[in-house]
Amino acid sequence: MLKIKNLHASVEQKNILTGLNLDIKPGEVHAIMGPNGAGKSTLGFILSGREGYEVSEGKIEFQGEDLLNMAIEERARKGLFLAFQYPVEIPGVSNMAFMKESVNAIREQRGETPLTATEFLKKAKEACTQVQLSLDFLKRGVNEGFSGGEKKRNEIMQMILLEPSLCILDESDSGLDIDALQVVANGVNSQRDGKRSFIIITHYQRLLDYIKPDYVHILASGKVVKTGDASLATDVEKEGYAFLGQDNAEETNA
Amino acid sequence: MSQLLQQLIDRGQVIDDWLSPLRAHALEALSNAKWPNRRVESWKYTSLAPLEQLELSPSAKADKAIIDDIEGLNSLDLVFVDGKLQSDISLLPLPKGLHIASLLDPSVKEQSTANALFAKIKPQRHLFGLINDALAEDGLIIDIDAGAKIEQPIRIVNLSSDGQESHHRILVRLGSHASATVIEHGQGNEASLSTGFAEYEIGEQAYLEHYRLAMHTHQAIHIGGCHFSLKQKARLNSTLIAYGSDLSRMDVDIIHNGEHAKAKLNAVYLLGESERFDLHSTIEHVMPNGTTQENARGIVGDKAKAVFNGRIHIHRDAQKTLAELHNRNLLLSRRGQINTKPELEIYADDVLCAHGATVAETEEETLYYLLSRGIPRSKALVMLNFGFIQELVNQMPNQHLAQWLKPQLEARFVEMEVK
Repeated sequence: MLKIKNLHASVEQKNILTGLNLDIKPGEVHAIMGPNGAGKSTLGFILSGREGYEVSEGKIEFQGEDLLNMAIEERARKGLFLAFQYPVEIPGVSNMAFMKESVNAIREQRGETPLTATEFLKKAKEACTQVQLSLDFLKRGVNEGFSGGEKKRNEIMQMILLEPSLCILDESDSGLDIDALQVVANGVNSQRDGKRSFIIITHYQRLLDYIKPDYVHILASGKVVKTGDASLATDVEKEGYAFLGQDNAEETNA
Repeated sequence: MSQLLQQLIDRGQVIDDWLSPLRAHALEALSNAKWPNRRVESWKYTSLAPLEQLELSPSAKADKAIIDDIEGLNSLDLVFVDGKLQSDISLLPLPKGLHIASLLDPSVKEQSTANALFAKIKPQRHLFGLINDALAEDGLIIDIDAGAKIEQPIRIVNLSSDGQESHHRILVRLGSHASATVIEHGQGNEASLSTGFAEYEIGEQAYLEHYRLAMHTHQAIHIGGCHFSLKQKARLNSTLIAYGSDLSRMDVDIIHNGEHAKAKLNAVYLLGESERFDLHSTIEHVMPNGTTQENARGIVGDKAKAVFNGRIHIHRDAQKTLAELHNRNLLLSRRGQINTKPELEIYADDVLCAHGATVAETEEETLYYLLSRGIPRSKALVMLNFGFIQELVNQMPNQHLAQWLKPQLEARFVEMEVK
């Protein structure tokens, strides 16, 4: 599904990723944990194609193709989805119009016919119910005036509608209470079908109590420093990131 | 005195027709006028150089033209080619209460209507308005009887063609309690100059729905104006849609000459490449209890340049005036330019006024969000940046016209964005 080899990347001449390797097979769930500033969100942005990140070394293969050569929208159409940590508000563009446009752009890529307004509405209502958002949210401006938790659920709703093959969740648990966390986790779990892969970027182990990862990677100073199974997350929760050593801790605080 | 201006005056002086007495005043004013340069405030940001470089000849005879049908509009069409009326008015099925005459050949009664309007509503200060006074030979006199409700829109089209110079004039009077829709549509893309000025007198409690589509592009220079006088309780709803050419300029004057008059003016301009468009609007609140709502919105891409100067002048007696003027712009490129200046001049103390102007750029983060959901770039930009334009198009009372315009405006926007 996704192969990242020796990825080096910087933003505004500051090195963020320094030789990151990751291999994700279809159906796998990988959690990426690490202290603030380790490069977790940068990884999500680079995978989705956000501008402003310079890749100086390494390569990324997505479903056998060179991901770094693709435009942002092309990556999305080929099945890559990023749930944003801070989804933007777009007043004046309805959530409904936005998602319909998006779903149909992706359907077109897959050679499927676009959904009619009625067909889309049916699907959107189901997804809305699944993430426990009231149907009013479809009519409102994209994320406009949504609470933090509502924005996160709106991201999961999009993920459900777009049926991506690789889902990257960037701190989808941050700022959520326990009920909202379960809604997000249930949304993700409902999409696990043995083929779809997930990268769960998180600071805490909490979300991983509900979404059981196959692998846990600890990211520090721009590379994976430790990989293990779900129990690694529990260890981190108990002991913190102190095991990374003094050097890393300092860099983290910088 | 520029050579070009002198030539225009010379030509005006030899015209001998029934309008000659009315032209005399303009010719005199022109002979004392200075050719505007950047030091003249009203032409500060718009250069007349493209006009000076054109080689033109006054249009002699033009071909018949076929114009686009606008689905569902069912309009009474009057077509000009290079300022010369091609339609045969006598063949038009005019509804009761509507009288249309050519400026070339009016009856005595029509002449008297024209006399009451010609250069009476349009202020003197517009240099090209004076040029139009001196040189416009063809045009229309539209007279609507008191109480007549004209349902069918009147569409006036002027097409400019290569190498032609043209000046045409529209004079419209709505009697009291009358209502009508007038669409002025100018179009052209070849090297040409057209001046087109229209004067409207809206009678007591009358209603005018008005559109001016200035769709001149490339080398088609257009300088024109719409000037409205509102009597007591008169209402005006006007929409201006403008593209840009080497030089395109529009002056709009709305004068509240009666109490309790209401005016709404929406203007949209979309400029790409190195197009220019300059909009000067002046709202004169002379009498009390008037209302004006003006919204001008534009998008400027590439090396294009827009000028907006919106003035509201509230005279001493115009108490209880409500006036609002807003100008919103989106700049798509670092090389584009927008000069915007709202001006409020208030001499009455019991009025409610608001004004504002903004210039924004595309928000990269928002665009990234849309792209990351697979939405094509051009579509994403339309979704993000076109809503504020569509809002004004949606406010057009005539939805047939709006539906006809929308895809054209959207296509133009996408083209601007790609470059």
